Amino acid sequence: MSIIVEVAKELLGMFLADARLTTTTLVLVAIVAGLVLALRVETLLGGGVLLLGCLATLVEAAAREARRRRCS
Amino acid sequence: MVSVAWSVAGPAIGAAFLASLVEVVEAFTIVLAVGTLRGWRPTALGTVAALAVLALLIILLGPLLDRVPLHLLQFIIGVLLLLFGMGWLRKAILRAAGVIPLHDEDAIFASESAQLAEAAGQQRSSLDWIAGLTAFKAVLLEGLEVVFIVIAVGAGHGLLWPAAAGALAACLAILAIGIIVHKPLAKVPENTLKFGVGVMLSAFGMFWTGEGLGIDWPGQDIALVVFAALFLGVGLATASALRRPTVEIAR
Repeated sequence: MSIIVEVAKELLGMFLADARLTTTTLVLVAIVAGLVLALRVETLLGGGVLLLGCLATLVEAAAREARRRRCS
Repeated sequence: MVSVAWSVAGPAIGAAFLASLVEVVEAFTIVLAVGTLRGWRPTALGTVAALAVLALLIILLGPLLDRVPLHLLQFIIGVLLLLFGMGWLRKAILRAAGVIPLHDEDAIFASESAQLAEAAGQQRSSLDWIAGLTAFKAVLLEGLEVVFIVIAVGAGHGLLWPAAAGALAACLAILAIGIIVHKPLAKVPENTLKFGVGVMLSAFGMFWTGEGLGIDWPGQDIALVVFAALFLGVGLATASALRRPTVEIAR
């Protein structure tokens, strides 16, 4: 039974290591999906928003964690 | 027969190989500790059982994914790869910046050995069972990430078998090196590998999420290389920027 729990934790941990990084990325994807699929914005513009948004999210997540660890 | 460009197949196989290399080194350290302390028979049994479960997962999930419409599959796998890849990359950046410690295989070997020695003192009768289970758990848990990567980078473009071959090659390489050196593989540049895999998975995630949403990336498959270069550049710059304050304080 404990193996099943550990496997479930491992699977969740693969995608939820940083809850804010996960949430921000999902929100960003939802925004781009809305822009491209619902508002029919130029797809390349949507792609640019996704790319720059992900890069910014990554930098923010690493900087936030570094700040948190150095303060504690 | 679907023809696949090497610009997609190469990174897919490479990502599966490098990610497997990282995970197999971690599993190998624990398997070596268990085998050295408790004998190789239960260790081998636990390892083979875990490999069988992992192979079953690929065999069952792989063909199932072929039934999902391509755009939907690319979107779902793309988003999962983005989350997974950016998670790896974030951790690799923090390790490269010295914010969190590097993975220490020697320390893991010592800790695993101590835990088994403690278990030996408490439950003498079921030692083989504990040893087999420890090996099983290590290989299964480390292997899950490999299975995900193999399925994720392989399923979207019919590259499941090449990606699985990349993962298998990594297993065999580590096994061969492990048999020769017979100690934890502490000199593997694990964080550099993790950095590289995080970059590749994030690039794949970006590419496939976009494709799933109907975005026409300029240059088609070549866009993958551009994404990888951008994630690498931003990752290295972030690690470098986060490293600086510590150096200034040290002075």
